[in-house]
Amino acid sequence: MHTVRFNSAPEAAHVPTGTLLVEAAGQVGIDIQQPCGGQGRCGRCAVIVDSGAVRRRSTLRLSSADIEAGYALACQTVIEGDAAITVPPQEQIERRLTTDLTAREVPIPAGYNPFEAQPIRRLSLTLSPPTMDDQTDDWSRLQTAARQQTGVENLRVSLLLLQKLGHVLREGGWQVEVLLDTDEARLIDVKAGYPADDAPLWGIAIDIGTTTVTVWLVNLLTGEVKAQVAEYNGQIARGEDVISRIIYSGKNNGGAELRRLILNTINTLIETACQRTTISADDILKATIAGNSTMMHLLLGIPAQTIRLTPFVTAVNTVPCLTAQEVGLAIHPEATVDCLPGVASYVGADISAGVLASGLDDTEAITLFIDIGTNGEIVMGNKEWLVTCACSAGPAFEGSGVLHGMRATKGAIEEVWIHTTTHEPTFRVIGNVRPRGICGSGLISLLAEMFLTGVVDKGGNINLSLQNPRVRMGEHGAEYVIAYAKETGHNQDIVITRVDIDNLLRAKAAIYAGFTVLADRVGVPLAAVEQVLVGGAFGKYINVEKAVEIGLLPDMSWDQFHFLGNTSIKGAYLALLDRRARTRIQHIAGRMTYIELSADNSFYEAFTSALFLPHTDLARFPSVKVN
Amino acid sequence: MPLSGIEIYKLLPQTNCKDCGFPTCLAFSMKLAAKQVELSTCPHVSDESKAKLASAAEPPIRLVTLKSNGYEVKAGNETVLFRHEKTFYHKPGLFIRVRDNEPLEDIKSRVRAIDVYSVDYVGMTLTLEGIAVESATGDPAAFSAAVRAVREATRRPLILISFDPAVMAAGLQAIDGETALVHGATTANWEAMAGLAKQHQAVLSVQADSLDGLAELTAKLKEAGVQDLVLSPVTGSLSTSLNLSTQIRRLALKKNFRPLGYPIMTFPGDLKDPDQEMIMAAQSIAKYAGFVVLDHFLPETAYPLLVLRENVFTDPQKPIQVQPGLYEINNPTPASPVLVTTNFSITYFSVANEVESSGLPAWLVVTDAEGMSVLTAWAAGKFDAERIAKAVKEFGVADKVSQKRVVIPGHVATLSGELEEELPNWEVRVGPREAVDLPAFMKQAL
Amino acid sequence: MPVEIPKDTWAGQVRTITLGATAAEGGTRSHTVTIGGQKSLPFMHFEHEAPYPPLVALEIKDRRPDDWSALLLERWGDVVNAPGDWAKAAEAAGAELIVLALSLTDANGEPTRPEAAVAATKAVLASTGLPLIVWGPGQAEADNELLVPVAEATKGERIAIGLCEDKNYRTLVATAMANNHLVIARSPMDVNLAKQLNILISDMGLPLDRILMDPTTGALGYGIEYGYSVMERLRLAALQGDGMTQLPMIVTPGYEAWKTKESKVGAGMPDAWGSWEERAITWETITAMTLIESGADIVVLRHPESVRRVQTAIKDLNSVREMA
Repeated sequence: MHTVRFNSAPEAAHVPTGTLLVEAAGQVGIDIQQPCGGQGRCGRCAVIVDSGAVRRRSTLRLSSADIEAGYALACQTVIEGDAAITVPPQEQIERRLTTDLTAREVPIPAGYNPFEAQPIRRLSLTLSPPTMDDQTDDWSRLQTAARQQTGVENLRVSLLLLQKLGHVLREGGWQVEVLLDTDEARLIDVKAGYPADDAPLWGIAIDIGTTTVTVWLVNLLTGEVKAQVAEYNGQIARGEDVISRIIYSGKNNGGAELRRLILNTINTLIETACQRTTISADDILKATIAGNSTMMHLLLGIPAQTIRLTPFVTAVNTVPCLTAQEVGLAIHPEATVDCLPGVASYVGADISAGVLASGLDDTEAITLFIDIGTNGEIVMGNKEWLVTCACSAGPAFEGSGVLHGMRATKGAIEEVWIHTTTHEPTFRVIGNVRPRGICGSGLISLLAEMFLTGVVDKGGNINLSLQNPRVRMGEHGAEYVIAYAKETGHNQDIVITRVDIDNLLRAKAAIYAGFTVLADRVGVPLAAVEQVLVGGAFGKYINVEKAVEIGLLPDMSWDQFHFLGNTSIKGAYLALLDRRARTRIQHIAGRMTYIELSADNSFYEAFTSALFLPHTDLARFPSVKVN
Repeated sequence: MPLSGIEIYKLLPQTNCKDCGFPTCLAFSMKLAAKQVELSTCPHVSDESKAKLASAAEPPIRLVTLKSNGYEVKAGNETVLFRHEKTFYHKPGLFIRVRDNEPLEDIKSRVRAIDVYSVDYVGMTLTLEGIAVESATGDPAAFSAAVRAVREATRRPLILISFDPAVMAAGLQAIDGETALVHGATTANWEAMAGLAKQHQAVLSVQADSLDGLAELTAKLKEAGVQDLVLSPVTGSLSTSLNLSTQIRRLALKKNFRPLGYPIMTFPGDLKDPDQEMIMAAQSIAKYAGFVVLDHFLPETAYPLLVLRENVFTDPQKPIQVQPGLYEINNPTPASPVLVTTNFSITYFSVANEVESSGLPAWLVVTDAEGMSVLTAWAAGKFDAERIAKAVKEFGVADKVSQKRVVIPGHVATLSGELEEELPNWEVRVGPREAVDLPAFMKQAL
Repeated sequence: MPVEIPKDTWAGQVRTITLGATAAEGGTRSHTVTIGGQKSLPFMHFEHEAPYPPLVALEIKDRRPDDWSALLLERWGDVVNAPGDWAKAAEAAGAELIVLALSLTDANGEPTRPEAAVAATKAVLASTGLPLIVWGPGQAEADNELLVPVAEATKGERIAIGLCEDKNYRTLVATAMANNHLVIARSPMDVNLAKQLNILISDMGLPLDRILMDPTTGALGYGIEYGYSVMERLRLAALQGDGMTQLPMIVTPGYEAWKTKESKVGAGMPDAWGSWEERAITWETITAMTLIESGADIVVLRHPESVRRVQTAIKDLNSVREMA
């Protein structure tokens, strides 16, 4: 056993040879973030080995100077003797999330009529009390009364409710408020006495994104969204992308931990929304959830490993209705939890919901719908047919996998302009502070500018023959300096390297190749696409012109692009409100034809073709002109 | 004309009932368009649609099969002009010609050598398909005797060559019950040859010196009830052969021209120059022949032709793989580092090329990841600690090196712990993620 | 039954490229050679007569290549010790072009010096009137170090220098531009990569009629099918009108075939492989012919007998006959 001391813990850890530093830290209660899920890819778990015997399996992401200074990746370094470790302060995520303050008002669907559309009902029932002539049991009495008002046959009830039923009926003098889910034919609650006439009926729509979780609190009687809250997914520290999370979930208790983390995030959001609107979480009677298949599995505690492994299947695409109690949501324990249906391992309920929200399934026009994130999901089709695929773009657009990449938070460069002749950059930073890094939209903008001004050639090679000190050889090869240390918030140069550019090229090529392969497979030319709908939170920040210039989006005129924001939460909201919308989502998921790109030979071809600025087939991008 | 997935979809019920075993009608349509499933798999397709789909699905080049006791050679059913468009399906049968004016014992010994010839190529055993027996004497008895002699020496399928129906009848009599290829029918003898072909269930080769002549004959023969035909345009040069074969294939595929929708047979020996014969055989293999009749058999030329045929008929849709194994780069010594990668050819080549051009010696362990790249294979569970360890052991890496240290790709850094367990006494190091960074890594870190 | 022969009509045409320069053109070659110009797939004379047939080049080295097959060293004899003599022998063997491949190191194992590379090139130019191609040793730094002085010392000869690759093309393209030479753009058996490199090079300002593309091939049995299909696809793209693929193609069946076990090694091989020399020559010939039929404009060979056979076949294929 070796003794490992950490600067930030009073106790020392005692571990055998071969123990990972993260594990040793965990033993004494230090939580080291592992955004890549412990794969040694992100470098954010770096700690300083002050003294002692450790072995670094991987030093990727560390410079030789870092190693000299004692840095080691906690997820890739094993203890071989006593050691003393300093854990740097963990990165705090600064927010730029959509909340009521920043959100647009959500339009209520035209003609919304809760009595037709809404399966959650509140009834005021007056039951005839039992007599010696009418010895009907309490439950049947309630069932019958409910049926007479709603037409719902065979209403079901939980044991907990049965246990209190008799008391409630008698307490209210046979006048009761009954809450039920008419589609599920299930009693949610029964309360003594009548409710106030204007009592609202609450539901929540939830979108579980890999990065961000969004909750909308909705008055089911009016359709009004009373609160919009969002928060980073608490699982991020255990992996930034779905693959990392799946891997983490397969480790010891990893699945349980991830489930706890996501429930924690959701429940905190619910609490915030309730506080803001001064309602009780117990009054929320339904939750409709959208999210990618991995998030859904992790939320429900269903093993997710098969999603990652060939032949890439989920445990379940269409989850039956559950109750809040089973799932672990801190709302009314008997509330209905409706997890929306997904299509495949990498096309989940978020996309089914997104298609609904975008109206793609109801248009004549051949439409492309994309949701750009770590995984770019693409849907193509119209009211007649729908095909979909997922492209593994990698985390570059999330600011990860890029040397100075960061999330779109305060201090991130989000847009860049480069002077045509001097090659000097100017940029805009989120929060108007000194920059600390560059986020996804900033990277797209930067790459487009570098390309158009000749800082890189069409292959993404940095042009070292430019007479400009910003173009130089760095530790990671050729690089371009966006901001010198004296201008930045952390006193380090912010650069983009050849390796970063390769990662960006791959990310954009994966997505564009997805378009071409989908189009090929159904035999419809990409040029026949009449409109492009861009969903996903990230979509809001993309400058379409720049995205076309680097060949991420097809070269079409501006008015053919529509940015829809978070279509997943919108779809969940619509499904929460209206049973017809809910049926439509089921129908969408059922008829969406999934194409597995990893099994498609033409994908590789399309991918290499797209690994160029803007594309090897220049004729596809007639509007893109290099200065 | 083949229909696209969407065109087929419009002819299907569009109920997404899943009875065909596919999740949606569109998924089924795309499989149908790719000819990976039969239409009959859908129990609900209407008769009207069935008729439309069937005519689109009819092969533009008829499939013919030669059969002898225990052997079959197929030709036809090709769907593309260029292998990259899909794949070529039926490897052309290579036949060696013997003539009935040779002594029977000579024929037998030659045929035996051809019969038993086999050569290994990347784990496959390659052989020639059969023998072509030609009547040089014009004597039915001599031909019959030669055919019998050949039949004694091999059980492989035969091509019989004579334009005299009486001679051909004698030859066919000698191998009754087989499906031989009869060469052939001409404007002069086609009626008699048609009768023989029908009588003996033979495949009939049609010879003419123009496409017009070929088309005219096949139309007549089809009318006479002979369906299984082969086209043998008369050519005396590489140039004519290439042009005629290309025209026939184009007419069949692009114009759906039925009279020329049959496999092609070529006779490279007609060039009368053994060197050029091999070149023409190679040309025939790549450019559209179904049967190739050679006059010369030598292992040193048969082997390259057989290999060419394997290469050209490799399915280009399958991922390009390299043979798993331990590869030596720049003459490594026991002190050289051990690098690990997958057997996807592009992955292998990018790693090998980077190291090779750096001039640094290394051992490269190419693991069997079923032809996938590092990340894909890892995601698919085909490149894990177990497989890497297995490769390291199987290829005897430990015996070649003095330092038991293995470098894995940076993309699978996560495997390092497990790999250390799988390979006790080995040090596992995580290399860079991209091949381009390997030389720098090797110089600095190893 | 009259059959209407379908003729493909293509929008595009392969560029015509001339190598070498005579005295009148600023060089010293006795004649120039021209390739390209096709308006149809290889040898489809019934559609369009191809103006220039494929050419056969012989590869020689600046010093005795000890790693070459013994069959080749034996066949060439003493000339391998002097590039000028070797070039003359190659011309006598029928070569229409000479490829001078520079070695990474000299006979003493020292890196080849630029002066030596220039001297070897000049010796070849002096001993033959054929146009010339010069390859560097294949490592970026060495290529640049040797080929720039060679290009400068032979200014105006319209030599094709190579190999330009996607990570190392700027220096070679710049020197070719400055000294009136051509470049060879080599990409690793991929249609897109080939096209991308052509675009990058032409973006530097080198006219497209001074770029040859080498899409790389494998030998028979060692991946020829990939090279074959890539070349077919490049040629189809060119004919379909894609300007960035309309460059003549040069490939190296000699180099590829002679590094295979089948060609390199004589003893201890299976009986089914037959005689060594005939097998090796057939290997090179079939590799070359298969690539010619998929669109190669220049094949670089190593054995004189292969040259003879391939030239005989090209002559046949190029003969225009009245088609049916």
